[in-house]
Amino acid sequence: MLERCLGQQRVRRIQRAVRHAKVTFLCLFMTVVVMRGMLGAGKFGTPAQDLDDLTTHFYASRKHAEPHRVLVEAQPENENENQSNDPKNYATFDFNKILKDEGGEDEKPDPNKPYTLGPKISDWDEQRGEWLKRNPNFPNFIRENKPRVLLVTGSSPKPCENPVGDHYLLKSIKNKIDYCRLHGIEIFYNMALLDAEMAGFWAKLPLIRKLLLSHPEVEFLWWMDSDAMFTDMAFELPWERYKDVNLVMHGWNEMVYDQKNWIGLNTGSFLLRNNQWALDLLDAWAPMGPKGKIRDEAGKILTRELKGRPVFEADDQSAMVYLLATQRDTWGNKVYLESGYYLHGYWGILVDKYEEMIENYHPGFGDHRWPLVTHFVGCKPCGKFGDYPVEKCLKQMDRAFNFGDNQVLQIYGFTHKSLASRRVKRVRNETGNPLEAKDDLGLMHPAFKAVKVSTSS
Amino acid sequence: MIPRGRQIHKTFNNIKITILCGFVTILVLRGTIGIGNLSSSEADAVNQNLIEETNRVLAEIRSDKDPDDPADSTDEPQFLSLNDTYTLGPKIVGWDQQRKVWLSQNPEFPSSVNGKPRILLLTGSPPNPCDNPIGDHYLLKAVKNKIDYCRIHGIEIVYNMAHLDKELAGYWAKLPMIRRLMLSHPEVEWIWWMDSDAMFTDMVFEVPLSKYSNHNLVIHGYPDLLFEQKSWIALNTGSFLFRNCQWSLDLLDTWAPMGPKGPIREEAGKVLTANLKGRPAFEADDQSALIYLLLSQKEKWMDKVYVENQYYLHGYWLGLVERYEEMIEKYHPGLGDERWPFVTHFVGCKPCGSYGDYPVEQCLKSMERAFNFADNQVLKFYGFGHRGLLSPKIKRIANETATPLEYMDQVDIRRPVHGDESSGSSETKS
Repeated sequence: MLERCLGQQRVRRIQRAVRHAKVTFLCLFMTVVVMRGMLGAGKFGTPAQDLDDLTTHFYASRKHAEPHRVLVEAQPENENENQSNDPKNYATFDFNKILKDEGGEDEKPDPNKPYTLGPKISDWDEQRGEWLKRNPNFPNFIRENKPRVLLVTGSSPKPCENPVGDHYLLKSIKNKIDYCRLHGIEIFYNMALLDAEMAGFWAKLPLIRKLLLSHPEVEFLWWMDSDAMFTDMAFELPWERYKDVNLVMHGWNEMVYDQKNWIGLNTGSFLLRNNQWALDLLDAWAPMGPKGKIRDEAGKILTRELKGRPVFEADDQSAMVYLLATQRDTWGNKVYLESGYYLHGYWGILVDKYEEMIENYHPGFGDHRWPLVTHFVGCKPCGKFGDYPVEKCLKQMDRAFNFGDNQVLQIYGFTHKSLASRRVKRVRNETGNPLEAKDDLGLMHPAFKAVKVSTSS
Repeated sequence: MIPRGRQIHKTFNNIKITILCGFVTILVLRGTIGIGNLSSSEADAVNQNLIEETNRVLAEIRSDKDPDDPADSTDEPQFLSLNDTYTLGPKIVGWDQQRKVWLSQNPEFPSSVNGKPRILLLTGSPPNPCDNPIGDHYLLKAVKNKIDYCRIHGIEIVYNMAHLDKELAGYWAKLPMIRRLMLSHPEVEWIWWMDSDAMFTDMVFEVPLSKYSNHNLVIHGYPDLLFEQKSWIALNTGSFLFRNCQWSLDLLDTWAPMGPKGPIREEAGKVLTANLKGRPAFEADDQSALIYLLLSQKEKWMDKVYVENQYYLHGYWLGLVERYEEMIEKYHPGLGDERWPFVTHFVGCKPCGSYGDYPVEQCLKSMERAFNFADNQVLKFYGFGHRGLLSPKIKRIANETATPLEYMDQVDIRRPVHGDESSGSSETKS
């Protein structure tokens, strides 16, 4: 029909022009797309980023079968309009209105100077020795074979993103308070970020150094993550075994030195002796920590060098594996990788067996029969995103808590109604002679808590 | 008419162009929306399920339901009737003698360590999460605060999260726990109860136990409010010390009967409101009950009760928290009184519940300030301080040196410069 209006030649010319126009537009599009791909377009992303997304997505799903979880504030159902105006109602209050920083900028680190934890100290053993001599009331050994230990743990000074996170932190610290009271160990609960460059999992390094230098009376510093709980209240650490070493971590020699496996040891629960060697180790450990480019680059090196390590920024545990594997001669002879008991016990293989343990064994073993520590790696109860489903993590943390708490409650004649229950029931009747009560686990007045009896009186 | 060959050619061209266009469209769309949404609808559904599942789990954790409640838990809970008598446990007699014998048989568990009588600090909170997450956060901060004070002063802590006796729940729950600890730990000389909403704000001050060698109960209050006005806030049971002795067991036995939940507590509440000045109408609480008990049986008990107000064994927060800056400027830790309060107690704030007696913002700001005020005294030892009393961030107040022990000697709280007979160390400061 068009042909009849305009004539055949004309039509063909128009068609050709249209075809050319189509091709021109297409080429224009292609150019724009390729340019975006190379130079990026802000939030629209680039193919390289897409590739990264793809790899992390598939790698992560390979690591853990369950999908990533998301924690969202559970909104109470019974809202009414009055609540939002009520100044006495906690539910509607925004906490961020409270915090306020005063007093100037953070000190900016000099980009040219390499990172250090602090001024180099080379004579710490002498300084400490003199201090101990001058202060006989603060001995570093409470009794023979019983060193003074400081357990260090901590969490953020801001409320958890997860609404029940702080509750689990509270239960976790109560658990540690109980173990430490029974074993005569002091606790330091840290809520301060001492060095902004070493934020995240690296924050423990400046803290440990500061505590070692400020507490010369402490012989061993025991770092423990906030997501680790004591599940054997009767197990006392075998201090004599460590009298010639300076660093005790849970792990296996073959996995660290031979395989260079990134989970060959665990830095969620370890002991560090207070001496010059420890300060030197901290100085050698720290360089991969400063956040930003250093930590990212270090992360790549670690992923390349260590077996099984996924792609992410450098973490203190991988850095420790790398340090020990590459500098075994310097550090190895003073490091003890303990696998005889669960100084750190991965929760995944332990929590389902608690009932079996209760039936077959008793506290005091510290190993697979009755683990000393159950460590909820990957659960991240304080954060919004973790590697495991919520239900599994939180319910198992409750069980582990109750498992440990039962051992404390039995001192007083009580126990939880079940490992999932918050309620307690009496298991031993009160009598008129409380001092003759049976103390099955020997925890009421344990030997490891006894003070030295002075022979002079 | 266009010949067949050209028609096919044209069709091919069109297909080519269509495919090219399609490819470009996909590229552009991917660039703008992102690859994740290639399977968008499925991912959304999974996400939605996750969120619902999470909310269900959180709601279950925060509810009071327990997996071990019997299935027919809709029954009315069994309360003691007014005719039943409640006891904390079998009557103990001769506890002082029993304790003395035990101590002599167990010299490795003495009742004094380094010249100081052994103190056990008892505190606690309910076993389930607070109604509001911010409540748990402040419980955590309060326990850190107590850990710090007790570490510095060699005091042991028991943090109770169990209801030992279902009759005595709520504020009464401390009574069975105090009794239980006294009887299980004869080596402990003093049991110090402290509420979970009270914080130490003077890290140097120590309770002057030598003042109380003839007393068995140390409690903050005002004698005129108690004896003349019979006020229901004459004493405060948020922070008090009980000596581990027969007298204390007897007092606990006499104190407990108003406690059991149900009709007993309700009726007792009415008696207390009628007899104490200013008390509102509500069920019996441990504080009013103790005041009533000490007033009505004055001759029996008061000679061994020390009503302390020389320092803030309990310090009511309103009126204290606003003055922290003034205190920092004019005074120093170690005083324990209105110049530098020993304990700041957030009565009425109830951050673990849903509603308090005061505006939330005022309560939380004040609690944060008190926490940081105390934390500064601990951090000073390490050369740090908070950036303001409302800031979670810290700043350096002393440079790092290669001889850290010199700085430490000047600021060590545990070995005060102005000398302390209980520390025992005799070195002089250079």
